[in-house]
Amino acid sequence: MSEIYCGLQVGQDVPDFKLETFEPSKGDFGEISLETQKANKKWTMLFFYPADFTFV
Amino acid sequence: MGAEVITVSTDTKFVHLAWQREEKMLEKVKYPMGSDTTGRVSRMFGVYDENTGLALRGTFIISPEGRLFNSEVNFYNMGRNIEELMRKFKANLHLAKHTNEGCPAKWKEEGDKTLKPSAGMVGKVYEAYKEK
Repeated sequence: MSEIYCGLQVGQDVPDFKLETFEPSKGDFGEISLETQKANKKWTMLFFYPADFTFV
Repeated sequence: MGAEVITVSTDTKFVHLAWQREEKMLEKVKYPMGSDTTGRVSRMFGVYDENTGLALRGTFIISPEGRLFNSEVNFYNMGRNIEELMRKFKANLHLAKHTNEGCPAKWKEEGDKTLKPSAGMVGKVYEAYKEK
């Protein structure tokens, strides 16, 4: 991901991204990537919020 | 339903852990909590606030092919509603299978009236909507 994308438009293909995660269901850390989601044929819903320990 | 909700903030995964364990409201949370400490993913979706280093309240739905289908951003103080999100997600699922249809404003779930845009419908959406 060398280019900087700033504001994807609906209808565009999302460049691959990766995030480190905490997974409450496993009680463990993990990683999630768009590539994996695509490989598993899953829809992805991203839910951004400003900060932990605030209301979401 | 073949979908995964991932929450994302610029906090570390360690803080996610601490928050999820401390806050009773999050006791039943199952979804992965993503950590975007560099703001890279937030920038990609246009929700990174350069002034605060925080992510705005953006919600995005991406298809299994990796295409962005929905995009919505709320200002800091406006909470979101899971029903709003699910309506959009269900509509996406329906439209992915029925590409020649449209889900009108009142569409809520599978079985509700959809519209098939055509030349005959131009100026006659009201009538088309009333038809069974």
